[in-house]
Amino acid sequence: MKNQRGALTRKSLALLLVVAVASAVAITAFIGGRPDNDAVVKPPVEIEDYLFWQAKDLTDFKLMGADAQTFGLNELKGKWSFIFFGYTHCPDVCPLTMGILGQAFKLIEKNPAAFQEVQGVFISVDPKRDTPELLKEYVSHFSNKFTGVTGDTAQLDAVSRQMSALYTIDREPGKPVDVYQVTHSSTIFLVDPQGRLYGRFPPPLSPQEIAGAFINIRAFYNERFKK
Amino acid sequence: MTSFFLKTLIALMLGFASMGVSADGVGIQIQNPWVLAPPPNVKVMAAYLEIKNNGEKPRMLVNVSSPAFEQVGIHQSVMHGDMVHMEQLKELSIPSHASVMLKPGGLHFMLTDAKKPLSIGDQVPMTLTFQSGEKIAVTAIVRSGPAEGMEDHQHMDHSGHENHKH
Ligand SMILES: [Cu+2]
Repeated sequence: MKNQRGALTRKSLALLLVVAVASAVAITAFIGGRPDNDAVVKPPVEIEDYLFWQAKDLTDFKLMGADAQTFGLNELKGKWSFIFFGYTHCPDVCPLTMGILGQAFKLIEKNPAAFQEVQGVFISVDPKRDTPELLKEYVSHFSNKFTGVTGDTAQLDAVSRQMSALYTIDREPGKPVDVYQVTHSSTIFLVDPQGRLYGRFPPPLSPQEIAGAFINIRAFYNERFKK
Repeated sequence: MTSFFLKTLIALMLGFASMGVSADGVGIQIQNPWVLAPPPNVKVMAAYLEIKNNGEKPRMLVNVSSPAFEQVGIHQSVMHGDMVHMEQLKELSIPSHASVMLKPGGLHFMLTDAKKPLSIGDQVPMTLTFQSGEKIAVTAIVRSGPAEGMEDHQHMDHSGHENHKH
């Protein structure tokens, strides 16, 4: 019995260590531990805060849009994707962020080539209440560049974990089952046309800031990868 | 001349409509109340405004109601690193000679279950009840977003006492 307990503790300690190391690696990658690698070209100073030091290849995932359209990594390729995780019962931060992003798209429209490559993806982390049909109507309010998608918990986690976009459903005892808030990420993620997590826009945000930064990010990217 | 008079009158009316002057005229002042226009089918919204306390004593907002919604709560969006969540507040204290700003991404009145769909330009009546028992009626306007130039209220004058030349 005692031995068993000891083994169990060692096992959980080892697990803890693995989690800690993994988190440290993830965090270092996220906040920009610079690899000693000359292949990493330093971005211009005005955009470096938005970019990951190393673009991160995303693995495939499967979410659902309206009209039974599936949405996965393929739908991100060939476009610059602005991805936001939220839920439609969110009255403050979600419509605010979506509004700002919609306005940013309007500003980007002045550059037709860039505008053509842009899409917005609203991923609802509240699939119980947000159906793909509802999401379609929701996102169209902000811009026709948006696609609204969701999925079951496993499908959502498969995307959100790749972007460190955590979320939790906050149920409160005594409240009806369909009355709850959701804690979610407030960052807009930027995925490049190769389907790699390339940058992020943390709040507070303005349409001007996003549009201006994006035009520069795209120019920097095209210099390295296009033609 | 007539049009100037009319404009002034309208400005005055709008000013008062959005002001909510308390009984003594020097207590609580509400400025620039507005509601963020909801996407279709969305019945949960947020209202924003500035509450100014011109009095000598701190004031406590204890309840908000609106005939246009089933429920209204005092809410705050709170950031924990990158994560954001909403907290419900029981009350909101406004210190004397200070103002509390409800604005996107922070404090807001959470309006739950709209009784009918709302769109830009619609008016949302609300009643703010303070601990003293005083009630202030406010009419919020549904807007597409924070209006241009409305960010800084210090320079705004809703009172209509002065004749601005624009
Ligand atoms: Cu709220």
